[in-house]
Amino acid sequence: MAAELKYEISQHAYIKLVLHALKHNTTAVNGILLGRVNPQNENVVEIIDSVPLFHSNIALLPPLEIALIMVEEHYGSQGLGIVGYFHANERFDDAELGIVAKNIGDHIFRYFPQAALLLLDNKKLEAVPKGKGQSPLMQLYIRDTSKNWKLAGPDGGSRLVIKEPAANVVLSDYISSEKWQGIVDFDDHLDDIKKDWLNPELFK
Amino acid sequence: MVSKTEETQLNRLENQVDNGGGGAWEYLCLVRKLKVRRSEKVLKYGLSILNDPKKRSALGPEEWTLYEQVAIAAMDCQCLDVTKDCIKVLQKKFPESKRVGRLNGMLLEAKGSWAEAEKAYSSLLEDNSLDQVIHKRRVAMAKAQGNISEAIELLNKYLEIFMADHDAWRELAEIYVSLQMYKQAAFCYEELILSQPTVPLYHLAYADVLYTLGGLENLQIAKKYYASTIDLTGGKNTRALFGICLCTSAIAQVSKGRNKEDKESPELQSLAATALEKDYKQRAADKLSLLTSALRSLKI
Repeated sequence: MAAELKYEISQHAYIKLVLHALKHNTTAVNGILLGRVNPQNENVVEIIDSVPLFHSNIALLPPLEIALIMVEEHYGSQGLGIVGYFHANERFDDAELGIVAKNIGDHIFRYFPQAALLLLDNKKLEAVPKGKGQSPLMQLYIRDTSKNWKLAGPDGGSRLVIKEPAANVVLSDYISSEKWQGIVDFDDHLDDIKKDWLNPELFK
Repeated sequence: MVSKTEETQLNRLENQVDNGGGGAWEYLCLVRKLKVRRSEKVLKYGLSILNDPKKRSALGPEEWTLYEQVAIAAMDCQCLDVTKDCIKVLQKKFPESKRVGRLNGMLLEAKGSWAEAEKAYSSLLEDNSLDQVIHKRRVAMAKAQGNISEAIELLNKYLEIFMADHDAWRELAEIYVSLQMYKQAAFCYEELILSQPTVPLYHLAYADVLYTLGGLENLQIAKKYYASTIDLTGGKNTRALFGICLCTSAIAQVSKGRNKEDKESPELQSLAATALEKDYKQRAADKLSLLTSALRSLKI
């Protein structure tokens, strides 16, 4: 039996995604995961960076197509590719992986068969300032052999880990200081191209 | 719906107030006028006026409008105690008011007491069946409980009566898009374009939906609506410019091998590409090379 695939997400990528969801807390948001298969261990996928994409009309193709072209072009020159997709639902109570997320996931799967779908876990997010947990605030979904997106493990188990163990502490700090105000996504860029979806200044 | 100039004006005012430069009341009025959702700021600055007796009396009769505005903002921030206090003040001043009754209904919503809120709204509707706000609250409640099909049904019923409510048409369109019901979303945008043909946002959204639907005919129409968006925005809309490029590329792909009877003139695409390149060079130079490769990849 093949060894189980593990996903390791960098603090940088992880925090960006959560902050994006917090900034647009009244709508669904999504983002793209960038990374590669670990060159020393082909059973580990490294999620090295992320790009927050949209906070409105997520199911429309034109902005998504432009975003994917530009994102791939930028990261391709750094040897990284699209390895997954992040989604946060509009409603707090909605813990389901919706059809739009699955469709976009399917598209990414075609180019990267080990693609990961991450869904923000709102209940865990709510608990972040109180708890000191190290597990990520997201559910991990992977495509199984019957072409369905299945939840990996009881709650992602240990198949999705954050590379830096103190990430949730850092995230907690950022939440208190309202760091999410500064996050720029692709929607913002399309509305005003001066805004940079790479967020170069965000963590300085 | 807010134009770019209006948003800039609002943000400038917001920054001014944030940095202690005054203008809180002006800001609150603008937020009300533009119907935007900036609940944390409204709560903060609204309360600072309401809690100061001098500032409060200086508002005159507008004081009550502010209580209402703060009550709603407080609900959005889940500060229900503030809401209750505001409602109490308003109830004392306007004892028989339906408008205050509405706020009570919203408070029940904010607490998650859906059945009670529904009861409150139904009884208010008995006295005035044409209260648009309450009808829309019921849509919002359905949506909040995840009952999207009921939200759609209620919204459609609402639009049969209030067919001039543009915001409602937009809301319906966006709900359809989120469910990937693009044909139905297209219909909504068609209604909007018919009634307000010079609003570029509707042309753009319609084009986006048609492109997403796909197929040669839809792509050709989408291209026309991206073009009209560019026309209505003086060539400044980045999304529409990209849209032209995407359409041209997609049309070329779809019509490969077909009879090239209506040959697409390449001028529109090259104009759009040039406009994009010029804009990026000026305002986002570090992304220019990405843009150029993206445009190149679309010319397949």
